Amino acid sequence: MNSNWLKKNTFHYSEFKDINRLVEEKERKKIKISLCLPTLNEEKTIAKEIIIMKSELMSRFQLLDEIVVIDSGSTDRTMEIASSYGADVYKADDILPKLEKFKGKGENLWKALYITKGDIIVYLDADIKNIHHRFVYALVGPLLLFDNIKYCKGFYDRPIARGKKKLRPTGGGRVTELVIRPLFSLFFPELTQIMQPLSGEYAGYRELFEKIPFPIGYGIETSIILDTYEKWGLDVIAQVDLERRVHRNQDTKSLGKMSFVILKTFCKRLEKLGIAELKSDIFNEMIQYKLGKDEYQPDIYIDRGFERPPIIEIPEYREKFKVI
Amino acid sequence: MEKYLDKLPFFVEQIKSMKETIIANIVFIGQIPAPTFKEKRRTNLFMERLAEFQVDECTTDGYRNPVGIIRGTSPSKPPVFVVAHLDTVFEKDVDHNYTVRKRTIKGAGILENSLSIGVLASLPEIFRKLDLSFESDIVLVGVIQSLGRGNLRGIRHLLKTWDTPIRGAICLESVELGRLNYYSEGMIRCEVECDISPTPGPLQKFKSNAILILNEVINQILELRLPQRPRSRVIIGKISGGFKHGTIAYKAKLGFEIQSDSDKMVKSIYNDINDIIEDISHQNEIELKLKTISNLSAASLKYNHPLVKSAGAIIESLGLKPICEPSESELSIFLSHNIPAVTLGITRGENIHLENATMEIEPMYKGIAQIIGVIMAIDKGVCDE
Repeated sequence: MNSNWLKKNTFHYSEFKDINRLVEEKERKKIKISLCLPTLNEEKTIAKEIIIMKSELMSRFQLLDEIVVIDSGSTDRTMEIASSYGADVYKADDILPKLEKFKGKGENLWKALYITKGDIIVYLDADIKNIHHRFVYALVGPLLLFDNIKYCKGFYDRPIARGKKKLRPTGGGRVTELVIRPLFSLFFPELTQIMQPLSGEYAGYRELFEKIPFPIGYGIETSIILDTYEKWGLDVIAQVDLERRVHRNQDTKSLGKMSFVILKTFCKRLEKLGIAELKSDIFNEMIQYKLGKDEYQPDIYIDRGFERPPIIEIPEYREKFKVI
Repeated sequence: MEKYLDKLPFFVEQIKSMKETIIANIVFIGQIPAPTFKEKRRTNLFMERLAEFQVDECTTDGYRNPVGIIRGTSPSKPPVFVVAHLDTVFEKDVDHNYTVRKRTIKGAGILENSLSIGVLASLPEIFRKLDLSFESDIVLVGVIQSLGRGNLRGIRHLLKTWDTPIRGAICLESVELGRLNYYSEGMIRCEVECDISPTPGPLQKFKSNAILILNEVINQILELRLPQRPRSRVIIGKISGGFKHGTIAYKAKLGFEIQSDSDKMVKSIYNDINDIIEDISHQNEIELKLKTISNLSAASLKYNHPLVKSAGAIIESLGLKPICEPSESELSIFLSHNIPAVTLGITRGENIHLENATMEIEPMYKGIAQIIGVIMAIDKGVCDE
């Protein structure tokens, strides 16, 4: 196991605080950077994310070239608010309209590849309450300053002792610790060094994202890591400590659904890589129970495990980005 | 004066185009808790923002009030101060994450006084955008230890140790847009604590009740004959005490303020209340303590002072009606040092002292234009007569 990776490829956001240096590097490399915010009913937090990124990373420093919101069909005022603060707002269904339509975060991220112009794409969840521009510049920093790094993942409140007697809280989210970390330990021990594989804050080069498939739902974070690892190895991945992140807490039932999708994605990858073989088909329904009037009623969540192919295989994309 | 009055509507649009910068400052600074006496983290961020926006000097005074200075073009002109108190009434365990919507920002402390601090931090960038320079130095101060027991210590210390003349000052309060405060009343803020030692045994049911004692104090205060001239009043503002429904209250606390146009009258009413408390304490054989939390002297500019007239005209030029009431804030300390000063409100809002305080975004742009108008007026000499 390459245990050096943790030391070599783990950064703290403060190492990239010199935003001028990042802008210089961006200009030297002649690249563009896009921020994508996938949304579904995020009217409480979306404005703050857009305002802070525009103020700090577009007006004061020209690190970002665009902020794009891709919405899955919000029923609140997310799109209106995002638009009023100057983001480019799209309904996911309106992008590549000839393709079959799906709902899900992965779908939004995949379609963002078609809409955005950037050579680097930063993905941030849109429900961060304590948003700060470090969430972007710290993810972009390693990509700009280290030529080998192509994909950078954020983590927060992680188990790192920082100097004597200074311990930070340990552990990822519940799904990370109960599902992902045991699976990584069993099949890909090197990947356990990634502190928070499910964090929704990451950035990478287009050349990487366009060559991997995107599950349309919750499996997206897991699949990006596994596919990147398989295609290019661990050394192209970095992780950055973003310190605190305050976000909406999810109930156990929702996390159960998330775990179901992640497990499916994982099983699929294990088969594809020839690590394990399933003798029969696995099911698409996650069955939970709730108490009805006088009886327990099944609460069924269906995930068909659909994945978008690498977007570089889509003719419209190839045409737009002049891929030969 | 009319020359810059004409510019103000244009300024409003320009300021509006900087909404991301201004709101980002409000959010960044306001989301850091700053209960009175624990303002250090907010102070540091405020200074950091001022430094990032390239004020010419950025430092703290001996009391740790953060100060940013934008150098003027004429070294002989005294500085103009723009101040806002940095502390809030909310402890650090209260959720300070703000919610920004299309027209509003909601969160603890936004109206008391985080909006003002965010605007103060944005002023250097706004001046740059509007291409404004001033003859006087502009001194931007986020004063600490202002509220409650802080008793305006931050501003008192700043003005006590500032060793050169000050041309004029503007105090910022988040709400209400249109307020024009140019006088402050004399005030003493007090607390009465009633403490009855519990004794075990059957007689405890016949002991005095701290709440009833304070009730008697209130009744006797209300019986005081207060003059209409000078205008004077006693505001009973806070009361707390007791343990549970069926138990006699051993402890209770009453908070009130004596306010008057005349310092002498404030003192006289204070003495009357002190007599009431000593009498009740003696009659009931219980401990009743009167504590002074803070006090202010009455001070005023005249209504026809050029600064007041100019500020009124500026507010009216933006389509607003000036609202003149007394203010007990930093204003009174400036006025008591004979420094011409006014307090201005920046926007409209609701639930001012609650955790869900909400400010309106749109009126804020006029509020900021008005501040710039008054700075320009002072810089042109309205306080120099």
